[in-house]
Amino acid sequence: MIRFTLKRALRDIWNNFYLHIVCVITISLAVFILSAFALFYINSTELLDAWKKGARVIAYANEDLSGEDQTRIKRQIKSLDGVASVDFVPKESAFDALKADIGEQSALLDGLKQNPLPDAFEARLSESFVHLEAIGRLAASIAAIKGVDDVEYAQKWLTQFGGVYNLFKITGLVLVAMFFIAIIFIVANTIRLILYSRREEIEIMRIVGADEAFIKHPFYFEGLLLGLTGAIIGLGFLYLAYMATVPNFSPEILMSFFEIQFIPAPFLVAFVICSMLVGWAGCHFSIKRFLKI
Amino acid sequence: MRDAQGLPFVDDTAIRCFHVGKQFGEISALKDVSLSVNENEFMFITGPSGAGKSTLIKLFYMGELATEGAIIVDGINLSRLSRWQVPQLRRKFGVIFQDFKLIPTRTVFENVALVLEVARTRPDEIRERVYAVLERVGIAERAGEYPPVLSGGEKQRVAVARAMVGEPKFILADEPTGSLDPDSAGTILNLLEGAHKNGATIIIATHDTELIEAHSGPVVRLENGRID
Repeated sequence: MIRFTLKRALRDIWNNFYLHIVCVITISLAVFILSAFALFYINSTELLDAWKKGARVIAYANEDLSGEDQTRIKRQIKSLDGVASVDFVPKESAFDALKADIGEQSALLDGLKQNPLPDAFEARLSESFVHLEAIGRLAASIAAIKGVDDVEYAQKWLTQFGGVYNLFKITGLVLVAMFFIAIIFIVANTIRLILYSRREEIEIMRIVGADEAFIKHPFYFEGLLLGLTGAIIGLGFLYLAYMATVPNFSPEILMSFFEIQFIPAPFLVAFVICSMLVGWAGCHFSIKRFLKI
Repeated sequence: MRDAQGLPFVDDTAIRCFHVGKQFGEISALKDVSLSVNENEFMFITGPSGAGKSTLIKLFYMGELATEGAIIVDGINLSRLSRWQVPQLRRKFGVIFQDFKLIPTRTVFENVALVLEVARTRPDEIRERVYAVLERVGIAERAGEYPPVLSGGEKQRVAVARAMVGEPKFILADEPTGSLDPDSAGTILNLLEGAHKNGATIIIATHDTELIEAHSGPVVRLENGRID
């Protein structure tokens, strides 16, 4: 039975080669777009998590801070909710670090009569303290401490990125649903066209005593095969695009603690299985409407 | 009680119709048709075009369903068959059509083998039986060719081979010689007689009076959907 099913399905694919090719290309395009979204979503989540784990808030102090003030401000920052540790960064250390950072151009700083940098406090946040709004509130609390002039953290960047991320989360789900419906529709139409071109053959099969399984199974197999091929091609192209673009990013752009990764294997398997199931479903709807024995 | 294939068994006559009627919307194709076909009978159903011959043939293998009365085939009341039992009933029949109904994208061998494939016969047995029946109808040398390159007579021989390969209890032929020259028609009739000698019950629907006169056997005449 399996031998007949495979033989007939493969013969069908061969006889309607161009129809199947168009269907596979469309499925692979849909899979490519969806998996590109998944790639962005997975990496965005990783990136945000990685940043949040290493999140810092820098508080710049007023000029001429006394040792007493330093201890007070440090204690006050430490007492705030979400702060794991606080380090005092004297302006001299900051100036040395700046010189080291700019390297060969550090000679430009030699002309300065005095150090323009202020003293600073570097507050490291606890790992559980991950909400952007809470980090914003904490920064405001630090800014309100007497002796603190300004507060800096990656608020703007994070807020914008978080906004895009949330937008992708919502639109991604809508897109997934839309693309899956589109794939079902495409496969259903392809199979319907094949069924229509083979209606006489199906009628003859019925007359000679073919049961529903004998008639339907090759079409289901075709649906699964269309989904499988489309998924493999779509994911293959995404991998090629990933390999072509990701090595061109310098690590500094994305922070030293983060590396863009391809979609993990379990997600890839899930993509292939979903694509096959959608191919099967498209086939099922078509057969249900067309074949009534 | 059930037969060997698990179908509900009620009667031991080959085919029996009780007051059978068939409506297509407002059109009445068959009205109050009652007849009996005995085991291993060679029967003709005749009548002018539109008399209901083809419809009656279709009712036997459930190509259409009767809207009135009852049909008993090989002891099975067709009205009591469930949907999944219909294919099993159809495997009791070999059907031959005037327009051959061969699949043009399949070879002669594959067209004939289909009957055995649907019955899940082993591939080696399929090969053996298909070549045997193609030899019998004299077309084995064209087993690898496709129907469109065959003549009308050859196509009908393939159709007869397909009807015989499953060794069915019944062979139904709907105008089997309608589009053939006299020689080819004679060959087809001889092949059907051979199947009859091997034990099959043959029912031929035709308006070809020469064909009927050339053969002895009961004749049922239909006129406007009724037995005349």
